[in-house]
Amino acid sequence: MPFELREHTADIAVEARGESLERTVAAVADGLAAASCDEDEIPADAGERFDLSVVAESREALLFEYLDELIYLRDVRLELPVENRVRIQLEHSDAGDAANADAADATSTPDTDDATDAADVVGTAGTDETDDRWSLEGSARGVPLTEIDAREIKAVTYSEMRLEAVDGDPDSGTTAWEAYVVFDV
Amino acid sequence: MTTFDANGVTLERIREFVWELPQEGEMRSPARVLASEALLEQISDDKTLEQLRNATHLPGITNYAICMPDGHQGYGFPVGGVGAMDAENGCISPGAVGYDINCGVRMMTTNLTYSDVQGHEEELVDALFDNVPSGLGGGGIVESDVDTVEDVLARGVDWALEHGYAVEEDLLHCEDEGMREGADPSKVTQKAKDRGKNQLGSLGSGNHFLEVQRVTDVFDGEVGEAFGLEKDQIVVLIHCGSRGLGHQTCNDYLRKIEQQHRGLLNQLPDKELAAAPAGSQLAEDYYGAMNAAINFAWVNRQLIMHRTRQVFERVFDRSWEEMEMNLLYDVAHNIAKKETHEVGGEQRELYVHRKGATRAFPAGHPDVPSAYRDVGQPVIIPGSMGAGSYVLRGGEASMDLTFGSTAHGAGRLMSRTQAKQDYWGGDVQQELQDRQQIYVKAQSGATIAEEAPGVYKDVDEVVRVSDALGIGDKVARTFPVCNIKG
Repeated sequence: MPFELREHTADIAVEARGESLERTVAAVADGLAAASCDEDEIPADAGERFDLSVVAESREALLFEYLDELIYLRDVRLELPVENRVRIQLEHSDAGDAANADAADATSTPDTDDATDAADVVGTAGTDETDDRWSLEGSARGVPLTEIDAREIKAVTYSEMRLEAVDGDPDSGTTAWEAYVVFDV
Repeated sequence: MTTFDANGVTLERIREFVWELPQEGEMRSPARVLASEALLEQISDDKTLEQLRNATHLPGITNYAICMPDGHQGYGFPVGGVGAMDAENGCISPGAVGYDINCGVRMMTTNLTYSDVQGHEEELVDALFDNVPSGLGGGGIVESDVDTVEDVLARGVDWALEHGYAVEEDLLHCEDEGMREGADPSKVTQKAKDRGKNQLGSLGSGNHFLEVQRVTDVFDGEVGEAFGLEKDQIVVLIHCGSRGLGHQTCNDYLRKIEQQHRGLLNQLPDKELAAAPAGSQLAEDYYGAMNAAINFAWVNRQLIMHRTRQVFERVFDRSWEEMEMNLLYDVAHNIAKKETHEVGGEQRELYVHRKGATRAFPAGHPDVPSAYRDVGQPVIIPGSMGAGSYVLRGGEASMDLTFGSTAHGAGRLMSRTQAKQDYWGGDVQQELQDRQQIYVKAQSGATIAEEAPGVYKDVDEVVRVSDALGIGDKVARTFPVCNIKG
């Protein structure tokens, strides 16, 4: 499963799993789109791709900021973001250039299925410390809201949010990831 | 002592409809659930009780964290939750207000009767659906720019009055006369304003709706008369909030709290309870931003009411003044307000958080508008689109039991995903029309399925508990005639 919609009494949750942090985060975003509109009702060729970027102090905060930005862009562009792709980098505020260089090398083939997760291979310092700076460069296809019957997701929440490596070292670069996010409907 | 056990939580029965979760561990106060056993069974089916217990960890929580009879699982703080935090030594929590700041309900009365509307239902529901923006990306009644949004945030319904979308009387029948003091538009981010700009005067989707209803019962003739309600009368209910502007404001401040008050956040069992310490700059900033978003929501509902008056004028071919389409009252059910309450014999200033709960001040309270001060504040409890709604008045016991609060609706029982499996929108729509003469129109069939009458608790039982406890007394009951939703 890239993602599944999960039950919640009043709202809706997305559970996602991917072979890398980047794919998992993108899968949550695809889940957000699916929670807004049935996938088979989204026209295959409507809308243009657009780019976005966010930064945050931890992986979880980055996921939150990313989903928040997608919802914001939906409302101001009047487009539902689908087919989401992301690149994630970690920059250490102290270590600086070395870590940046590692991350940049690791994401030299963005937006392809073969892309390696930069965040997963940054090295041993890939913890959620507050002086770290995580950045995400993303893109999505913006389907005009006039072409679909989409339901409004109000906001991403931190409630019960989970973003964790599965059976391995989160900094190893070879670990699968799981995420669980509740959205306010 | 009678107890109720569910999911590792044991509640003690204090008296009929009052259950207490005793203080233990890191809890800063006990918690209380106000419910019949039937409602308690439903409340304990999800994480409501766990979230209620978590809410007692908030600094400065006074007396109890309280769950109303319609409570259900939310995020962080349960829906149907009331928490009063000390305004000097406590906190204010965006998570305990909710994303849709000043989500609320307003009721407009008319002098039309059900027989005046019968035969016009389809025309009316179509005209309302065509003229009141709903759903995602449907725009707003007013095409606004940044200056307009700033003005709305600062002045609330006074802005609508100046621009011809309201009359003086509307302000007199709205909490705070439709303008929240302390609103500070400069504390609302540009992102929030950008989202609000496209949505001023729109319903949104989810459980928001506009419903034409008929009054089926008046339980208290004297109060009903004071509220202008009589049997068979047509009224209009409007349920929506501050749209993307409010949602963005909540998240913007959750993130600021996460970055600036991590120490407090780390003490809380759920990150979604994020709170700013009372007296901190961030607490002041959030309060200013939230009050501005409250104004935005009031204007949003005012614009929809204005448009509804215009639609009625076209459908019934007479002026709205002739149809006496007057605002009965506007209640907020996602809000935090600085209020003075008696605690242990002393007057204390508290941030009273009501998330899915309605203020229900009794007769004589100085904060009840003068139009209703002799009978108590009107409280509007919307039910599902097949079950009807209630008008209550603030009860005498509300100040002692609930910091002047009662329920806000029927409360969800079934998840949205389950609802879509159990119901098909087209069937629900047809059944409502064929069996109950209720005309429903929505942007999508999925919304109708998700909001089917069967996904909600029994609103009659919720109101029975409120009435029996004396926190909100039954005045009248209404039943749907036409319903539009996003």
